[in-house]
Amino acid sequence: MTTFTDPIGQHASEDDPRVMLDNQIGAFEAVPPYPPRTEREAEFYSLRDGEMFINMGPQHPSTHGVLRVVLKINGEQVVDLDPVLGYLHRGVEKLCENSDYHHIISQVDPLEYVSSLFMEWAPVMAFEKLLDVEVPRRAEFIRVLTGELLRVSSHALYQGWMALDLGGLAPILYSFIERDEIVEMLAAITGQRMLFNYFRIGGVNGDLNHEFMSRLGDWMSRAAQQHEANIGLLNENEIFVRRMRGIGRVDKDTALRMVVTGPNLRASGVPYDVRRAHPYSIYPELEFDIPVRGTGPEGGDSLDRYLLRLDEVGQSLKIIDQCLHAMPDGPIMARLPRLLRPRPGRAWAAVEAPRGLYGTYAISDGTDQPFRMKIHDPSFVNLQLVGLVMKGNLMADTMAVMASLDPVMGGIDK
Amino acid sequence: MDRTLRARLEKRFADKVSGPVRQRHDTTELRIGAADLTEVMTALHDEPDLEFVLLADLAGVDTGDHMQVVYHLWSAKTPDWLRVIADGLPRDNPRIATLTGLWPGAEWMERETYDMFGIIFEGNRDLRRIYMPPDYTSFPLRKDFYLPDDAARSPGGGVRHMERTHVPTQATERVIRRTVKA
Repeated sequence: MTTFTDPIGQHASEDDPRVMLDNQIGAFEAVPPYPPRTEREAEFYSLRDGEMFINMGPQHPSTHGVLRVVLKINGEQVVDLDPVLGYLHRGVEKLCENSDYHHIISQVDPLEYVSSLFMEWAPVMAFEKLLDVEVPRRAEFIRVLTGELLRVSSHALYQGWMALDLGGLAPILYSFIERDEIVEMLAAITGQRMLFNYFRIGGVNGDLNHEFMSRLGDWMSRAAQQHEANIGLLNENEIFVRRMRGIGRVDKDTALRMVVTGPNLRASGVPYDVRRAHPYSIYPELEFDIPVRGTGPEGGDSLDRYLLRLDEVGQSLKIIDQCLHAMPDGPIMARLPRLLRPRPGRAWAAVEAPRGLYGTYAISDGTDQPFRMKIHDPSFVNLQLVGLVMKGNLMADTMAVMASLDPVMGGIDK
Repeated sequence: MDRTLRARLEKRFADKVSGPVRQRHDTTELRIGAADLTEVMTALHDEPDLEFVLLADLAGVDTGDHMQVVYHLWSAKTPDWLRVIADGLPRDNPRIATLTGLWPGAEWMERETYDMFGIIFEGNRDLRRIYMPPDYTSFPLRKDFYLPDDAARSPGGGVRHMERTHVPTQATERVIRRTVKA
């Protein structure tokens, strides 16, 4: 009779053939194979009693792209974490500085691939400021209309991802019904389903057509109802609510100091929305509210961030409705030369993307390429919150909190 | 354009500004020396008639001649964006104070600027590369870093040459063809 011996028991050693010790330094080893570069790194990579590192990602199914997070855990509790970025870095800013102004629209498109119209909007607005161009009113209406449609689709997808990261498979299927409708609609005018490449400096690329309008009409007739149904999908799910409530609380002051923007900031009780704070396009003429949650002293939690996005969808539907009713006739492009050479100067433009303030700072030196183009992506700064709020929480909640912040790695890594 | 903001800024920071307070479109621009950064930013953030509580963006700029760090701020007290340009950082040793004391969230933005320009933010607790690998030696967004291909050359061509392939050892050589007055 053979007796079972524990391979990692007291007899196990490096010479023991039964024990497989992985001494190879792998590409994704949690502890980096070089000395710490900063105080913070040295502090993070030194373990106290009972602590260990665990690597989450970069191929984790729910990291919304290729994000790697090194977790320092004690049992099930997260002591600290260190997000490692750069797996998707393409150097978009450098590419933009070496492309001409029209080309940039297609360079920035894939940044936040779920809401790429907004990625075009801010650079285009910045270049319009550099050139002092006035955009035709119809083009502004079309921009707002398509943008808000995409916001609905992006938030719908967020709802699905959120549930998926908590282990619920069904909601993502419902989200994709919504998203597919909108994306097909936009494909009718832009020709693309994802990276639209639609906005132009001084207007948009194509006018609204019959297919778009008929699809939009179909969708609008049931959008409000569908929105109500989507709310019911998860809001009354007890498991979902219990895993979200009270986790990842961020109060007002912390949110501002962590320079969080967008829904994550509004879910912490700050009514800041670029569409109202710095009105651009035709937003000053439109009626819509800025939903705010988490106004209490404790601030907002993951559930607030989730619910706030659902509120926003309601407001977006209102805006789409107003756009359709007030849509003027007229040209969709300003008259501009093919080759743009703005006078030397600086311009900053920001839009309210589904994930927050998305901005562009452009410097022109009088040539057809921007001398410097900085892209500010909201997910990049929002992601810093996980390091702050995860301390002391359970490891299983890391994904719940991270998903509630809604990062998109394409934008974070630029 | 918020004229009163301009007047307020000119009065408050009369001894700090290193150029006129400019306004264009919806942005007011304040230009200061890098040494005054902490003082000016703290005043902008804390003083009740300014209250610029949100740091919208932090960007490094290499003008080809010197470096800048550009901050964009928001306040509920004015409809304008405020752009603060911390000017005149030498290219061979750009150093500036960190803003993580005021906005801890600036940490990653400063890391990014360090990674791309090599600007050292004194006091940032975690100033290491964020996008590029840790053994990388040069700073890609500096103007002496040329792209190895000219595929992106525009039809306006011949303005900025990119055929010089970047070699890390050349990074310190002054090979900049064009500078900008930013």
